[in-house]
Amino acid sequence: MQIRDYILRRLMVLPVLIIGVSIIVFALTRVGGSPIGVYLQTGMTQEEVTELEERFHLDDPLPVQYAYWAGGVLTGELGWSGVAAAPVTDVFLPKLAATMELAVSAALVAVVLGIALGTFAGARRNRLPDHITRVFSISGAAMPLFWFAILLLIVFWVYLGWFPIGRSDPNIFARIDHPTNLYTIDSLLAGDFGAFKDAIWHLILPAATLGYGATAIIARMMRSSLVEELQEDYVDAARAKGLPERLVLRRHARRNALIPTVTVIGLSFGFLLQGSVVAEIIFRWPGLGRWMADSVLRGDQATIMAYVLFTSVLFLVVNLGVDVIYAYLDRRVVLGE
Amino acid sequence: MVDVPAGPLPTRVADSALRVRARRGGELLLALLKNPTTVAGLVFIVLLLGMAVFAPLITEPNTPDAYQMPRDWGALAVPPGSPGHPLGTTNVGGDVLYGLVWGARTSLRLSVIVVSLTVFIGVTVGSIAGFKGGKVDEILMRIVDVFLSIPELIFALAIAAVLGPSFRNIILALAVVFWVKYARIMRAQIIHVKENEYVDAARVIGDSSWRIYFKDILPNSITPVVVQATLDMGNIVLVGATLSFIGLSEAGIAEWGVLVSEGQSGISAGRWWASTFPGMMVFLWALGFNLFGDGLRDVLDPKTETSR
Repeated sequence: MQIRDYILRRLMVLPVLIIGVSIIVFALTRVGGSPIGVYLQTGMTQEEVTELEERFHLDDPLPVQYAYWAGGVLTGELGWSGVAAAPVTDVFLPKLAATMELAVSAALVAVVLGIALGTFAGARRNRLPDHITRVFSISGAAMPLFWFAILLLIVFWVYLGWFPIGRSDPNIFARIDHPTNLYTIDSLLAGDFGAFKDAIWHLILPAATLGYGATAIIARMMRSSLVEELQEDYVDAARAKGLPERLVLRRHARRNALIPTVTVIGLSFGFLLQGSVVAEIIFRWPGLGRWMADSVLRGDQATIMAYVLFTSVLFLVVNLGVDVIYAYLDRRVVLGE
Repeated sequence: MVDVPAGPLPTRVADSALRVRARRGGELLLALLKNPTTVAGLVFIVLLLGMAVFAPLITEPNTPDAYQMPRDWGALAVPPGSPGHPLGTTNVGGDVLYGLVWGARTSLRLSVIVVSLTVFIGVTVGSIAGFKGGKVDEILMRIVDVFLSIPELIFALAIAAVLGPSFRNIILALAVVFWVKYARIMRAQIIHVKENEYVDAARVIGDSSWRIYFKDILPNSITPVVVQATLDMGNIVLVGATLSFIGLSEAGIAEWGVLVSEGQSGISAGRWWASTFPGMMVFLWALGFNLFGDGLRDVLDPKTETSR
């Protein structure tokens, strides 16, 4: 009952936040003046310009312009991307798939590694493994992703030549169908093991880049919540009844320590989205992030708007999901409200 | 009977308050220095700030604008250890050492300006929201929520893109993005501190709201802001360098992100130095402030430890 109320309340705030974000995004594009420039051609008469302005409702007051724009967004009308030389809507999905493939691989690695590392350190509080993990985690927070990526590139691509850059070997990529646009999944669907290997091979460096930061965030949270749990009475009780330390950790403390860790997984998702911009530039990954970076440099407003709006909504939805899961796992959140 | 010490009372009180404060400061410093990682952070910070402050002595500028990379057209892409270029040059003859040293200055400028701006805006907005409460609080906090809904780097990227590529616009973009955290922290603190009895006491003896705010509430709620500001001294350089790396600064300025980007084109040819060194500086800068800020939080607020 209370959980339902909590979720309902959060769901009601969500549209308000999304509208807020859309207003900011819209305002941003108007800071630089009228967006008419994209459509202007040399030798246009004043009448033609006025006609264009009327056609795109640019002569209306700003709130009316916003309404037209928001209506367009809702119907999937996101404008023309100069960088992709196509409507934003047409190129969005394949690029999203490329970014998601990268982000999800990194997230999987980060969740598994982060929890393992955090547990390892938390169970050995203030001993060497704990200190090493602390340095690893803080380094992760301080690491410029663009630098880490370049170091990987120098070592594993330039000097060792172990891993390629880009998303695929074009010849192998061309020989299979791409129903989902997720290269790994598509290659498995096609039953082409060579293509699957190619997909994984290209994924490793960029996923390692993104995964490092996220692993650091998760390990740090897991460590401190485990340290906290290990001081609880129920842990003493479990030890007193003669349960081996290994089981105290696995059955009791770690399970409860995972609850707060869930919240940072949402946070680290935001990190992955942002990091993908840099990782995609350096490893030439054809995803949303690189498209955004190119658009930023070339003033492609339609793409910038779509990208900011999309990532923010995704970020909000993921965090809402995480909070709901957290509320389910830890009833105190709801009772405490 | 209470043993009343000699001397005029007001000065004695002020004196002892000062002594208490000094002792607390000393204890704080000792507690900070006990943690080796905090000390490491402090050492990085001191070294980097020294580099920034003494930049003109370490590498003498020979261009009219010292923040502009000098170009040695006779020594393109030379490796570290070359005469006159101890850390090598970029593809376009930029001296890497010069970029590192003057980049420290650029970073100091960036972080000090952005942190002061964002702390000022955030503390003001958070104070108004926490102090006034009601409708004002509601509206301000909804705005903060909206700002927090857009991932930091992406928000800053979009703002800088709209304003056009320049270092000044990066500063502006970061200021717009980073104030919200302070507003939220400050508001929560004020709501908490406001409830204390000493605030009621001040009100009873007739202090004005302004006086209560500046004398009783602000000093008692500022600690988490100080911790966050320390961490942000590092984070802002990190995000700023990322924006520069993507290409939102003027090309050719002595800034670490710009230099990494400039060095990137030589990587496939095996010229690792031009990107590696400046990137490492960004890392050390952010690491220094993160380690120190982390230690500061442990000491100032033992409850949270390293949980966030």
